[in-house]
Amino acid sequence: MAAKRVLIIEDDQWFLSLLQKRLEREKFAVVAASNTIEGMAEINKSVPDVIVLDFFMPGPNALVLLHELQSYSDTANVPVILCTNNASDVPKEAISSYGVVSVLDKTTMHPDDVAAAVRRAL
Amino acid sequence: MEGSKQQTNRLDGAVPTAPSFVTAAHELKSPLALVRQLALHLESGEVDSKEMQEVAHRIALTSERALRLTTDITKSTRLEDSLFSLEPLNPIVLCQEVVDEMKPLYAAHGRTIVLTSRARSLLALANRDLLRRILLNFADNALHYSGEGPVTITASLRGGGSYIRLGVRDYGPALPSVMRKNVGKQSTSVHSRPESSGLGIYIARQFADAMHATIGTTSHRDGATFYVDIGASSQLRLL
Repeated sequence: MAAKRVLIIEDDQWFLSLLQKRLEREKFAVVAASNTIEGMAEINKSVPDVIVLDFFMPGPNALVLLHELQSYSDTANVPVILCTNNASDVPKEAISSYGVVSVLDKTTMHPDDVAAAVRRAL
Repeated sequence: MEGSKQQTNRLDGAVPTAPSFVTAAHELKSPLALVRQLALHLESGEVDSKEMQEVAHRIALTSERALRLTTDITKSTRLEDSLFSLEPLNPIVLCQEVVDEMKPLYAAHGRTIVLTSRARSLLALANRDLLRRILLNFADNALHYSGEGPVTITASLRGGGSYIRLGVRDYGPALPSVMRKNVGKQSTSVHSRPESSGLGIYIARQFADAMHATIGTTSHRDGATFYVDIGASSQLRLL
């Protein structure tokens, strides 16, 4: 069975690298993007099974991508995991309609939490 | 140069009126969260000796970034109680010191920072520590909020030799046009980047004010230049 494909969109390269290593260790096929524009390009190439998404990034923020995902039938149902330093400020009711299945708080999460969240999302 | 492709704005009167504790806390969250994750990664025991060295280096550099910010915050709150002496200094030498200080952090991110200046002999009247902190602030901002291109520090004599502009040019996302339009409005917060709290710019402006300098930004199609204008020393005219 082919490995599930996870797209990580995260502007901090070192944080991205940590997430990537952790998911690859769990045998996920990881694709990385450092901003939403790059992320959209990766989605255009191949729709991932799950997206791990930072909230604030250079250029368009996560909401722009979430809007975009909802605009197309082939991406509207892709589960999204938000991973942010400001989890308590994210309006969870508002984003739940955008396919966000969980919100990880970078300031309190354990490295294993991202793999657990991806498994729950699949 | 100030045509339709770029727009220059002074950042006076258009930055947050004061950094709140909440703003400072938000700004510090990012490096602290990263240090914690890197430490947890080390603790997992799944790293070989080479990676351990790399992760430890990243922890050190990220901690230094957080410490720079805390030092800037504390210094900015004490500006009114302090007198900052202005001295004639060579801004090219100072810019090179900033480049040398930031090089390890840039290199660890696979990025480069260089100094380019066509001017040979410049003499500015400024406070060395405050000017250095402004440039470090801009350089740190450029690293974390711009794209993958090189960051360049430039120095040039302007205004018929009356002032010197030191700029940090990056190739990140351009400032949104709505933000540029609002720059002159007193009540509007101008952030260094859309995703930034603006604390760094607030502090840079405080430091600039303390030595009678001004800061500003030029938005390019492919990035931005954050600059500080400082008075040229009259001693230059005697040279």
